[in-house]
Amino acid sequence: MHITLDTARDMIRAGMGEAQRLGNACSIAIVDENGWLVAAERMEDALIPTLDIARDKAWTAFAFKMPSSEIGRFGNPSAANAGFNTANWNDRLTTIGGGLPIKVGNSVIGGVGVSGGTEKEDVAVCQTAIKAIATPQPA
Amino acid sequence: MEEVTGLATERETAFDQEGHVKRITLGMARKMLEAAVRYSVEIVGFPCSIAVVDAAGGVIAVHRADGAPPGTVDIAIEKAWSAVVMGMPTLMLGRFIDPRVATTVPLGTHAIGIANRHRGRLCAIHGGIPIREVGTSLGLDVIGGIGTSGCPSADDDNTVSQAGFSALYD
Repeated sequence: MHITLDTARDMIRAGMGEAQRLGNACSIAIVDENGWLVAAERMEDALIPTLDIARDKAWTAFAFKMPSSEIGRFGNPSAANAGFNTANWNDRLTTIGGGLPIKVGNSVIGGVGVSGGTEKEDVAVCQTAIKAIATPQPA
Repeated sequence: MEEVTGLATERETAFDQEGHVKRITLGMARKMLEAAVRYSVEIVGFPCSIAVVDAAGGVIAVHRADGAPPGTVDIAIEKAWSAVVMGMPTLMLGRFIDPRVATTVPLGTHAIGIANRHRGRLCAIHGGIPIREVGTSLGLDVIGGIGTSGCPSADDDNTVSQAGFSALYD
């Protein structure tokens, strides 16, 4: 399966419901199985740069096939093979938490990025959005 | 389920007393994008990316129709942004920088220099249109913009944006 615009919109809608329940405003971005943006939306009160940050997180989570918060360990100078050239990867690489890969079994079919709350809140919104794939939202 | 777009108090400030749109909300942006995506796929026949930005040029929402090339997303954003910052449709900007027609518009060849301004972000391809407050006519009253990319013909990009714009007052 892959992420269609309809799926992405359902995911964003569900994620924003969770964000509202947590009492914060955020942006949510969804990328497809090749890392390309399918849809991104910003809630009324969310700050303008959150949309781009959410997009970066979604891409990072997709590209590394792991939560964006875990990318930081590659940049730890005390670890082996450390070091990032952050100017690469379309300038989209970010180590901020709040991006999750969308997995079906072992294959990554996309990524979701959320920006606007604390890292914990953003991850919770990501998880709600991913759950919405299985349960289509009423329009 | 009630559509979630933001906090209720914010939504009330989107209209003035006469019911005119003062500010583009996420709900309005979704409505415009839904109409424009459907128009591009079902009527024009080319899936497009469409972006809606606010008066600050910040993206409110961007959707890429299934099958639209990935690179169209950023061009759609650039077109909407350009329409807002210059307060005119991007097809106008295209006229300005075209040496063949520049001599026939009031600004003359003077405006050719706007090509690739703003670090290359200023986009002079047809398809971006500004959204204005109703009842005013100068460039100071732009409340947002919509941009489309993905059609092989520039006129079609513009038509898709107009379809989305029409949905705002639907």
